[in-house]
Amino acid sequence: MTHSAVAAQLDAYLDGELAAPDAARLERRRRALSAALRDQLPRFPAPDTLRAGVRAGVRAEAGRRARRRAPSWGALAVAASLALVAFGSRQLALRGAAGEAITNQVLASHVRSLMPGHLTDVLSSDQHTVKPWFNGKLDFSPPVYDFAGAGFPLVGGRLEYVDGGPVAALAYRRRQHVINVFLWPADRGRTAGPRAATRQGYHLLHWATPAYAYWVASDLGLAELGDFVALLQRGDSAAAAVR
Amino acid sequence: MESSELERFEAVVLPHLDAAYTLARYLTRNDHDAQDVVQDASLRALRYFHGFRGAGSAEGRAWLLAIVRNTAYTWQRRRRADTLTTEFDEERHSESVADRHPEATVEATSQRAALRRAIDELGPEFREVIVLRELEGLSYKEISDVAGVPVGTVMSRLARARRRLEEALCADPEDC
Repeated sequence: MTHSAVAAQLDAYLDGELAAPDAARLERRRRALSAALRDQLPRFPAPDTLRAGVRAGVRAEAGRRARRRAPSWGALAVAASLALVAFGSRQLALRGAAGEAITNQVLASHVRSLMPGHLTDVLSSDQHTVKPWFNGKLDFSPPVYDFAGAGFPLVGGRLEYVDGGPVAALAYRRRQHVINVFLWPADRGRTAGPRAATRQGYHLLHWATPAYAYWVASDLGLAELGDFVALLQRGDSAAAAVR
Repeated sequence: MESSELERFEAVVLPHLDAAYTLARYLTRNDHDAQDVVQDASLRALRYFHGFRGAGSAEGRAWLLAIVRNTAYTWQRRRRADTLTTEFDEERHSESVADRHPEATVEATSQRAALRRAIDELGPEFREVIVLRELEGLSYKEISDVAGVPVGTVMSRLARARRRLEEALCADPEDC
């Protein structure tokens, strides 16, 4: 049937002049088309990386806007440092400022990694692909684990630049949450920073082993993030025992 | 932005990311652009959120979809700065859904493949009304708000789009 024939039939239908069987056929066809479209046109669920990226972007933007309106955090930080200096704890203030700088760099790296296409330079859930990828890019070979069995699959790795040097970043996943692990050799220098901080809705955890300084960043709940950190620490101490 | 407002924003917008991505994907016909469009649209939504007066989930969805749609058109316009038309270049931008699915060659004769090809070949103004109506189940009024055209235009675009799709579905015109 041609277009104009359909249009003519529709007019007749609306005018009540279409024979009942033809009217029924017209209606059936329209219902069949809608059903076919609903069943057969693909829907596109938002990918996890997009979901995480939107959340990160929105929180970062909301944070920026809050800071613009609120009294300057910079001024508050200066005031706080001055207070500490006045207390005679100059060392403490310097350490705190350095830790703050690293915390901010880790947070920025984490948020940037969540934007589309930024999460991994090497995309693989195979630890034996990800670990060698760092050869020639870093002067250390970071420990890479596969915690898929525990519900934290490896996603991949990438290079980051934190505290004035290149560091390894490993991406793991828990359901839709991305977990970034940043690490660099402990002997590179200070490993300042709070052990735990929450910024813009992201949890940042920090610790050091004899071999590495570690940072972990994620929007995952602290309890589960703690499980993940425990897995990492167990992995490291097992490796150290073998050595 | 206060944290309570951020939470309200996330509660309004985040549940509709699948709908947003589906619309963006049909408008751009490309995964990468669709992701960028939704990312960009979500930040625009945050900026305009103070003007959002809706309460229900359906209102949030229509509101977000309108922003996604406008963002997608802006992107396509920016890409094609050489002309001022908002129409898509079917030759250059026909990266059809069917072409991107390896299984499409196998089912090239199937109804599903014919439908995918047919919708990709529609102009964006027809594609969007089909997606909004058939996949998202929006009312004519909501579609008119999202697309920024009168309800009468929504109806005529839907009718034209459906006729084209019906044609694509009918291998044998005698059956239809």
